[in-house]
Amino acid sequence: MADFSWTPVSPLQAALKPGRLGEKSGPAGLKLTELTGFSLMQVQARRGRWAETEAAAQGLFGVSAPANPAAVEGSGATLVWSGPQQFLALFPAGYGADWEKRLADAFAGSASLSDQTGGRAMIRIQGARARDMLAKVCSVDLHPRAFATGAAAATSVDHTGVNLWRRADDAEGAVFDLIVFSTFAGSLWHTLVDHAAEFGVEAGRHPA
Amino acid sequence: MRINCPFCGPRENGEFTYLGDAKPVRPEGGAGEEAFYDYVYLRDNVAGEMSEWWYHGGGCRSWLKAVRNTVTHEFLSVEAAPGAGGKAVQK
Ligand SMILES: [Zn+2]
Repeated sequence: MADFSWTPVSPLQAALKPGRLGEKSGPAGLKLTELTGFSLMQVQARRGRWAETEAAAQGLFGVSAPANPAAVEGSGATLVWSGPQQFLALFPAGYGADWEKRLADAFAGSASLSDQTGGRAMIRIQGARARDMLAKVCSVDLHPRAFATGAAAATSVDHTGVNLWRRADDAEGAVFDLIVFSTFAGSLWHTLVDHAAEFGVEAGRHPA
Repeated sequence: MRINCPFCGPRENGEFTYLGDAKPVRPEGGAGEEAFYDYVYLRDNVAGEMSEWWYHGGGCRSWLKAVRNTVTHEFLSVEAAPGAGGKAVQK
């Protein structure tokens, strides 16, 4: 058997140029950051097994699996609703090699698992003008009254399917996280940067 | 035109794909050629309320069954297709 030593390369390796982009005067209106190194599992309840899937999620993460479009912070992972009776379990970089086994043991018999780690890229959109930029490319109402902290949506941005959710605000304003298929990440990144340019962008990359 | 996905809430129609008339029901195996010809090829040209299949491919990827007025484009109801998974989400 051959030995492989593959080095993971970001799907945004070519597209993402860290630093200030677009409008150069004044403070940047928003930050666009690629979050790297995460692990991601699609969890889909088997037919008629949602109650068992919920119980397994409760046991493993200490929170209820999202039954509505929401992102729930559990112990060790964020659970992001992705459709009826299914969600994404997102583990931060450096979580530990046993993440797959823990999921496989917990959901044995109740849900099907599909590793999406290499297939998705994650982008954080935050800052005072984050909503103004997203309003140009996303048809979901992201007003704080309509899209509270913890709200999530499976939607399309620039005809590209994404999972989008809102984290807690930081000092500069709203914080949204977005997951997109790796092969679409580059074109989506260009779209986001183009629509953010008028506000001034700080682009970067750091571990999830 | 907006479609109120029972799982996601109201979304622009660009997130959905139209799959056609939801009325035809597959005939039993021995129903004969004429029944299958009707099932596969013949469609009503409805002016008014029509039951339709839609697919939320740009969102939750669920199959939906909707009643739409083909004259006004008003959606009178949208529900999860039978067997499509979870119960409709209360919005
Ligand atoms: Zn939907």
